Formats: sequence, structure tokens, C-alpha cells
Amino acid sequence: MAMIEPAQIPLAGIPAPLIAGVVLATSLGLFAYIMYKRIGLLRVGLPDPRVDRIGERIKMMLLYGFGQLRQPRYLGAGIMHILLFAGFVLLSLRSLTLIGRGFAADFHLPLMGGSAGFAYEVIKDYVVLVVLVVCVVAIVRRAVFKPERYSHPGVEGHEGEAYIILGMVSALMLTDMIYDGAGLIGRGEPLQPGLFPAASLGAALLSGIGASTAQALHVLGYWAHILVFFSLLNFLPISKHFHVITAIPNVFFAKLDRGAIKPVRHDVKEWMDLPEGQIGAGTFQGFTWKHLLDFVSCADCGRCSDNCPANAVGRALSPKMISIKARDYAYEHYPVFGSPVQVNDKKFAGDIVTEQEIWACTTCGACERECPIFIEYIDKIVDMRRYLLDQGEIPQSLQKPLQQIKKKGNAYGGAKNKRAAWTKDLDGIEVRELEPGDSCEYLFFVDSCGSFDPRIQQISRSFARIMHKAGADFGILGKDESDSGNEVRRIGEEGLFEQIAEKNIEVLQERTFKEIVAFDPHAFNAIRNDYPVTFPVLHASQLMARFLAAGKIKLGGDYLQGRTVTYHDPCYLGRHNSLYDEPRGVLNRIPGMRLKEMTRSRSRSFCCSGGGLLLWYENEEEKERMGVRRIRMAEEVGAQVVVTACPFCLINLEDAIKVTGNEGKIEVIDLVELVDRSLI
Amino acid sequence: MDIIVCMKWTPDTSEADLAVDKKGMDIEKGDLDYDMNEWDRFAIEEAVRIKEKLGGKVTVVSVAPEEVEEVLRESLARGADEAFQLWDDACDGSDGYATAKVLAKFAQGRKFDLILTGTLADDDCAGQVGGMLAAMLGIPGATLVQKLDIADGTMTVLRELEAGLSEKLEIDLPAVVSVATGLNEPRFVSVRAVRKVASAEIPCVDLAALGLAGTDVGDAGARVRIEKVFLPPEGEGAEMIPGKPEEAAARLAAILKEKGGIS
Amino acid sequence: MKEIFVLAEHRQQRLRDTTWDGIAAGRVLAKELGAELTCLLLGSGVDAMALEIAKHCPKVMVVDDPRLANFNSEPYIKTLAAILQGRSSYMLLMGNSNSIMDVAPGLSVALDAALTTDCVGFEFQEGKPLAVRQMYSYKVNALVSFKGAERVVVTLRSGAFPFDPAENAGTVETVACPLTDEPLKKRFVGFVEGEKGDVDISAADVIVSIGRGIGDEEDLDAFEELADAMGGVLACSRPIVDKNLLPKYRQVGTSGVEVKPKVYLALGISGAFQHLGGIKGNPLLVAVNKDPRAPIFRVANYGIVAKLEDVVPALTEKIKELKK
Repeated sequence: MAMIEPAQIPLAGIPAPLIAGVVLATSLGLFAYIMYKRIGLLRVGLPDPRVDRIGERIKMMLLYGFGQLRQPRYLGAGIMHILLFAGFVLLSLRSLTLIGRGFAADFHLPLMGGSAGFAYEVIKDYVVLVVLVVCVVAIVRRAVFKPERYSHPGVEGHEGEAYIILGMVSALMLTDMIYDGAGLIGRGEPLQPGLFPAASLGAALLSGIGASTAQALHVLGYWAHILVFFSLLNFLPISKHFHVITAIPNVFFAKLDRGAIKPVRHDVKEWMDLPEGQIGAGTFQGFTWKHLLDFVSCADCGRCSDNCPANAVGRALSPKMISIKARDYAYEHYPVFGSPVQVNDKKFAGDIVTEQEIWACTTCGACERECPIFIEYIDKIVDMRRYLLDQGEIPQSLQKPLQQIKKKGNAYGGAKNKRAAWTKDLDGIEVRELEPGDSCEYLFFVDSCGSFDPRIQQISRSFARIMHKAGADFGILGKDESDSGNEVRRIGEEGLFEQIAEKNIEVLQERTFKEIVAFDPHAFNAIRNDYPVTFPVLHASQLMARFLAAGKIKLGGDYLQGRTVTYHDPCYLGRHNSLYDEPRGVLNRIPGMRLKEMTRSRSRSFCCSGGGLLLWYENEEEKERMGVRRIRMAEEVGAQVVVTACPFCLINLEDAIKVTGNEGKIEVIDLVELVDRSLI
Repeated sequence: MDIIVCMKWTPDTSEADLAVDKKGMDIEKGDLDYDMNEWDRFAIEEAVRIKEKLGGKVTVVSVAPEEVEEVLRESLARGADEAFQLWDDACDGSDGYATAKVLAKFAQGRKFDLILTGTLADDDCAGQVGGMLAAMLGIPGATLVQKLDIADGTMTVLRELEAGLSEKLEIDLPAVVSVATGLNEPRFVSVRAVRKVASAEIPCVDLAALGLAGTDVGDAGARVRIEKVFLPPEGEGAEMIPGKPEEAAARLAAILKEKGGIS
Repeated sequence: MKEIFVLAEHRQQRLRDTTWDGIAAGRVLAKELGAELTCLLLGSGVDAMALEIAKHCPKVMVVDDPRLANFNSEPYIKTLAAILQGRSSYMLLMGNSNSIMDVAPGLSVALDAALTTDCVGFEFQEGKPLAVRQMYSYKVNALVSFKGAERVVVTLRSGAFPFDPAENAGTVETVACPLTDEPLKKRFVGFVEGEKGDVDISAADVIVSIGRGIGDEEDLDAFEELADAMGGVLACSRPIVDKNLLPKYRQVGTSGVEVKPKVYLALGISGAFQHLGGIKGNPLLVAVNKDPRAPIFRVANYGIVAKLEDVVPALTEKIKELKK
């Protein structure tokens, strides 16, 4: 029995190839126009050089774009996504083939005749079924199980989108099955479920229909498939599923250097001379084009918010909502049809994204670490803070410490000449205060907390004892040291950051040393990633690991006394600087160490609520402090000792110990202190 | 609405360990940081907000030596239009009365609708200059103002009384309003904001220009004089009340009654 | 100085304690200087108040006028200036209250008198009074002379001059109101109450404050009862707010509310500087803590080392007894 192919059947008297041509041309034309408008949207953003280091970028694109390496961090959803993505890639050939068959009944892609084509047909048929199953599972998951991370608190009209897309993809698969299945029936061929499961299933479902119905369905399935395909293609760039098109470029253009904050402007060096209102991102146009690409690329998966500590304790922030609200704003103000809508009197930073959201962020980086397509949040938050701060609008609780840094170089209000006062109680160990021209091997950058906070001074002294024991030649900047500026910069006070960074750079350059060492990851990060001059800088855990390896210090005693230990990864050591193994290496040299990791560890570590200036920040919305949440996690694994490697984590967690009634039950200790107490 | 804000330059003593100087006439101020008086920060903010709403000009003045320039400049960064230092070495040793005279003379030479200042200064803790200034200028004054509205030439203020109670007053302009802390949220002054006003001129107005003589100010022009300062006797610590808890409680109750702790 | 005047303060038809502070200080000064003590009572319909004051003060001078019902500084300054005009040697005492802060400085200018505010004591040198007051965040005392002035206005720190309620009857004299019909430039509109149920600990004179030392106790009734008995309010340090036991507006400290009470009873508060930083004005500070090394004992006036549950109920009971 012969089957007449769609290309051979005129519709309403019009030859099919003509219709196919019109559909193809119209759809592609429309798609090209939408893409043109969407790319035009990016052009309203500020410059951002993202075409350097091509090799690294291609590698990123292959690993995380095509390789989807971050997807399995959520195993179930990740595997489903990988299957869908693979299905899309494989079925794109099928779609091209089908488009071609509107013109010629026996169309196939080059090289796809013969056995390769046959093999592809088999694979494709399996993929169709897999994709269909994944779509059904995804629909059920959303409709029945409603994972929290898919919700859109405060913003309407996004719930339907996912169903539309999943429905269209399912329709593509079903129409394909009808087309093939009806074809099988029409041609009277035997079903081959082993080779062509989708087509066979389609035929089985249609079994019993007559030849003419089969013929009609074959044609109908074909055209329905073509129409759904082109509808989907044009729907993508106007929906959250734009990521299907933009995700891979977004990964290609991703920020390559973690830990650093972007300059105020990539294109203006003397940013301080910019006119009023143009510092930072106060308006939509104040973001860089890459940040706008981030907004339109967000797939609403909610992994960022699911891992955001601010979100977890009830602060106003949910990172994904920043992207979603920005995308809504973009699509509303830069419509596909018509000219840009005049910006109304709403301020982007303040009204669209509220001040509460903007100040709730601790810059811990959990969101960025989780995003499968490398959307950035910290730089955007900092840019919005820069704008608010330039307008004079920052939380009152942060004003005083910032003024203190401006006046005295530290947020504690301590006098400059008291900066080295902590060295007094060191039982005969002399800590050298380096004068200009002096030299040493290790320059110990103490930073403000280690100099002025009585609790943190203990860590400073511990670290001095360790270096002394190791026979290291070290010194400090003393009165000439200023705050590292890590939080000053992240709070958005770039002018002050530049001022204190320049001062520190100047005094550092006046002295000679082999390496800078800091036990505060914030100081370590600022010097390593933010300062415009490159210095060799170590975190204390790295230096202690080195001392241990060289046998310069030895550990003994039984400080732990059989207690269970857990390690809390500080954000600025782990996520921002990838130092996960060094502190653990040191930890494992402590006698009697029984380390039990918390569920959230390493790159999934849970921020204790932030350091530096954020210690002064009072958030009113949160239901529970992050440190308390973190101590609960330590309780879960039965930890009796929580070791961290950041002075601010120590402060926050020690506070949380008291609040949770764990005094005497759980000890929080800095890695440096633990090593000091275990020195023999 | 032209507004004059009187701002004081004060040593920050809240966190510092204070010591009496050799003569016993003042505290050692060498190590202290000077800053804009906390209360006056709110006055400047309020003035700038009124200007932003109603137009006009904000002028900030301070009776202080030349080191005050930094905070006067900061007041420009906060949105003031001009700033003047009112000073002569003879002003050293002025009390609130002598200071109010200098400010009154400055105000009399200008057109203004409103004078704003903080109610108290952190150093003297006297709270007198605003009220004296109003009396010298013959215009109404109000202190501890926690809210201020101006409409159609009339000002309505809310004054803070004790225990959560406030009073509402209507005041004709021009007037002198001494503000309470917390009536607004003073804006943040960034390094950039200060840099933008880095080259603004801050003139010094001397006594001659104000039409005052050296004897009008300083100790000569003052009505009170600090004869000595001394640190309050500092106990080595608490007097510990011994005994069993019930006995100690009874003793404590008696002490509280004696010291007015039971009302 | 020949005469000592005390300005009586009242609000909503009730005398305020600053009146008694003034009479207490006035008695000391009158005795020391051999001067006459007179209480000035300005108000509207204040006969009952006048009689009450006259029980404790040799002379009460009353000016009764509707425009003086509330402490509006403009009619007050005008009236007082008119009454005192022509007198050349006197000291006028007033409480350093929020109402009087509006009156005293302007009045001193109108009277051409020397002014010292917020005095905590007096010293006498060669028959002349000198005032003691506090400066520099209330950390330093200063002895202030009036440079020989014969007309002096002084405002007094509340609670600094203990009043002896012993009766010694005086006379009441009513004088005509000297105010003219000239319209006022400053007009009293009304009182505005703070938000209902919203305790303003910053305005409280007596504060019972609890800290982490209350342990796992979540029932604060015992502490509230003590605060009520003392006529004070319940406040706390940060850990209590963190535990959601009390709202943030009851937290004393640099990150909370600054308070200026007369008496501060710290229960289970260790005395971190962040907390102490919120306590201003050198109150009588009493600490109860089970840790004898708690830093609060270094700054407190009195201390008891004991468990709170042993002290608090006993203390509440004793105070209730003493109030009877």
C-alpha cells in the first residue's frame, strides 16, 4: 500500500512545498526579528569586556554549557534536564529533516541517507519517548509535588509558562509519533517496537483506523508538528525558556574570576567624575550587557534561592526573583513589537528590587555557585548598593562603622596607634612592627578585627605563637595598616575602598616580604582578588599546612578529648577562593581528629551571616539568625567542636551557641587557635 | 525657605577613656577625635530635606576653630549650599551664651526663615544655645523637636516629652528649632560626595565682620565659667551585698527604696 | 542671693516630681545663702496644686491664666520675666525636664541672667553657690561658677536632690497675670500619646533588664512582676530579643535603645560594652548574676551573686512590702 507524503498533498489547492516555504520564511523571519529586538535589549546595558581568555571560555562552554556539569548538583532534576537537553540536541536533526520533508517527500540531511540515517531513526525514536516521559514526569512534579524553589513569591503570572513549554514539547513528541505511527499503519508495515518504539507506540494507539484516516493523520501529524515547532521556536525568546537559546552563550561569557568585584565602570576609569545618579546600577540601563543577558537567561529553576542563606532565614532576598523581576521589567519596557516604553518614575534599585533585598545579601556566593548557567548576583547587588550609597541611602547601622573606617581605618573606632596593642600579651614573643624599608619573610596582615576585637585578638596571638614556633621571620604593619576593605567594597562604598586599598598598597610596597599571610579570609580575599596590585598572599591554613609538611611545627596533646568535630567552610575561603582541602589537611593532623562533615559543606557551606561591616548590620525581617541555623546543622551531625577558619564565622557561631543553649555542649574554635593549642 | 543650621564641632567622648588635664580645667583632648555633633547631623538632614521639598538655601555655620572645616565640608556633601566658620581666637572659652551671641549676630545679618540646630551637644550636654538664640533674635523657639511640618508659612512641630508623650505646637516663622535625634535618617556621605565639594570655599567670618568685640565672647563674654573638672569618684566595682538570697534581696529592696528605685 | 525661686512643673493637671526636686534643692540653697524660698506656680485652675505645694514650701506665688495651662515657652518666659523684673538678686530653680528645656535658656536671656543646666549638686565658696554638672557624654563632672552674677537660672537633674516630704506649711499668694493680649507666635495644639502598647524604655526612670543569664526560662512573668512592683519597665539585652522573648524596642544597647533611667536593675546580664553603651546618664546600677566574675560587677553600684530564681521573687515581695 502506498502512502502519500505531506509534501505531495496540496492543502486548499495550494501546493504543500509552497505552504512549507511560507511557514518557514514567516517563522524564521519572525524569529530573526524577535532575536534582533532581544539582542537590541542587551545593547542598552553598559560595556563589559567578556571576550578575553577565549580558551578558558570555550572550556567553560563545553563543560558547563554542553556538558551541563552543574546540573547533577540536584540529582533528580539534573538528570531530567540532561536528558531533555540531549533530546533537544538529537531531535533538532529530526526537526530539520521534517522541515525538509515539507518540500520533498524523501528529504534527508546530508550524510543521513543509508545506514547512518537508519541508525539515527532508531536513536531518535527512543529519544522521542524519553523526552515525552521526562515531560510528563516534569508536569506531574510541578503540579503535584510543587517544589518550593519553583514558586514566585510576590510576582504573578509565571506559573503557567512552564506548563505551556512542557505542553508544546510533549505535543512535538506526540505529533511526531502520530505522523510516524499513522505512516506505519498506512503503509501496512509491521510494528517494530524494538527498533522504532515511539512510532510503534503511535501506531498501536491508532490501531484499528482505516487507510484514509491513517493518511489524514499522517499529514495532519506532520503539519501539526511543524506548526508547534515554529511556535515553540518563537515562544522561547519571549518566555523564561529563552535560556534554551541563551544559556550556552551565557556560560561562554561567564565571569571567570571568582572573589573579585567588578569595577564601577569598565569603560570609565575616573568614575568619581560621573554625573549624579550614574554611579552603580540605579536603573535598568545601569547594568552591564552581560548582566542583562543573565536576566533574560534565568530559567527560574530556583537553585540560587534554595541555597541562599538570607532567603532561608526569612530575609527579603530571593536571588532568582531579582532575575525574574528584571526580566519582567525588560520585556515590559523593551517590547518585541513597538518602541521602548518610557521608563516610569520607578527606580530599579529601590522599587523593582527593594532596599531590603539589596541589603539582605551577605555576598556569600551560594547562589552563584549553584546556578547551572553562571548567572552573577554579587556584582549586581554591589552595583545596586553603589547606587543607593551614592544617593546617601544605606542602613543607619552601617553608617557609623563606615565613618570609623574613613576616619580611623577600622570599624571598631580604635585609635591607629593601638592597632598593634594585641601583641603585648604574648609571653615574650616579640612581634615586629615593620617600618618602611624593613623586610621579612611573612607579612602578617592582621586586619581590623584581629587588631581590635578582643575575641579575635586571641586568634592574632595564637597565629603569632604558631609562626614564632615555626621559626618564621614575620612582621606586621601595625599602625600603618588600614582595614582590608573587603566589606567596604561589597557594601558599595567604592571611593572609600579605593582610598584604604591605596593606603595599604603603599605601605605594603614600602616593605619587602616574600608573602602576605592573613587568617581572616575576607582580608585574604580583598588582597588577593580586589587590590589592583598583585601581591603573593596566603591564608593562614595554607601556611600552617606548609609548616606541618616541612616539620616546622608539630602537633600533639589531646585538646579534642574524643569529641566529634565538624568543619564550617567560610564563604571567602571556600566558595570564593576554593580553599577546601588545605584547612581540612591541617585539621586532620590534629591528634584524635574525628571529623564529621555537615550536609552543607564545602561549596554548599551555609553562610554564618557575614563578616566585616555586616557584623554591624541589623536585619529586621529575619526569623532566625543564620549562625543559629548553622549551629543546628552542626547539632544534626552530633558535633561537639565546630572548627572554622574565619574570625567572623567564629563571632557569629559563638553567639549562636549561646542563643541555642549549647554553651558547654558545643565549642566553636578557629583553626588557628586549635593548632596553637595542639602545638608541642 | 532659607535655613541656617548651627552645627557644633565636638570631641567624640562616648567610647573614649577620659582624663582630666593638668590644670584641671578641662579634659585631655589630644587623643580625641572631633566630629560633627551627633544631634546637629539630624538638623542638617532636616534642613536639606525641607530645601529639597520647598526650595531655598541651606547655610551651615559653626563657631569653632579652623579644624572645623572638614565637618563643614561634610555638611556641604550632605546637601547644604554654603558653610561658614564663625571664629576668632577670642571665642575660645565661650559658654553657651557667648556662642549664642555670635550666632545671633550672624543671623541678624542675613535673610532667613528658619534656624535649625541640635537640641544638645555631646560635649557640654547643656541644651541651651537654641533657646538663647531664639530669645536674642526675638523669635519663637522649640527644642527636642521630633517631627516638623511646614505648610503655608506655618510650622507644626511635635516636641518630645517624657514617657512616650509628645506635644504638638504651631509656630510662626521665622523660628529656631532644636531637633531631637531620630527625627529623620541622616543620609550617608560617601568619599565621592565629599570629593565633589572638595574645592568649595568655606569662608571664615571674624568678630569684626559680625560686629562683635573680643570682650563679647570667650570667657569675657561668658556668664558662667568652668572652675574645675573632675572625674566622678569611680568605685573599684560594685558593693557586693552579702548573705543568703532572701537576705540580700531584702537589703537590695531597702537600697532601691532609699535611692528612688521604687516609684 | 536674696531669693530662691522654684518653678513648679505640672502636666495634665498633675504636679511633676521635678517640682519636689526643685524645692529640695531650694531648701538647701535658701539655708546656705540665708535666702527666702518661693515656689512659682504658673497654670490654669491650679488652686489644688498650690495648696499641695504650700504644705512643703514657705511661699507659693500663683499666676492663673488659661494661656499658662501647658508649658508653652512663650507665655511662660513672658510671665516669669515680668514677675522677676525689678528683682536683682535671685536664683531660679527648675527641673531639667523636656518641657523646661524649652523655657530655661530663653528665659535666662530675657532675665539677663546666667544659666546652668542639668545640675547634679551645689558647692559654696565664700558664700557664693557653684553648680556641679556633667559633661562629655556625662562622664566628667564640672564645677561651674556664675562669675558673680546675682541673677541665676539653674535647671536640676531629676533625682539628684532627694526631697524630704516633712510638712511645714506656707502661704499662697496669687498675682495678676502680666500677659498682654498680643497674639502668641507659638501655640499649644495638644498632647500626642505614643503608640498604644508601645513601651518607650528610653523614657523610663526605672528599668528592670534581663539578659542571657535567665537561662532557658521562657516565662517572663516573674520579671514583669518585679518591674511592675518597682514602677518600672522590663527591658533586655540582645540574646533575649534573639530568642524572641521580648521585642526589639525593649532591647537596651548600642544596637538597641539608649536609655537614661535613674535606676537600672540588671538581671543575668554579663555587661558587654554593647549593652552598657546603651545605658546613659549614670543611673544607680544594680546587678544580680550568678557569675561573680561577670564584668557587670565592675561598673555596677551594687551587686548580688546568686541565682535569679532565688533573688527575684524575694525581691519582688520585699518591694511590695516597702511600698505599703
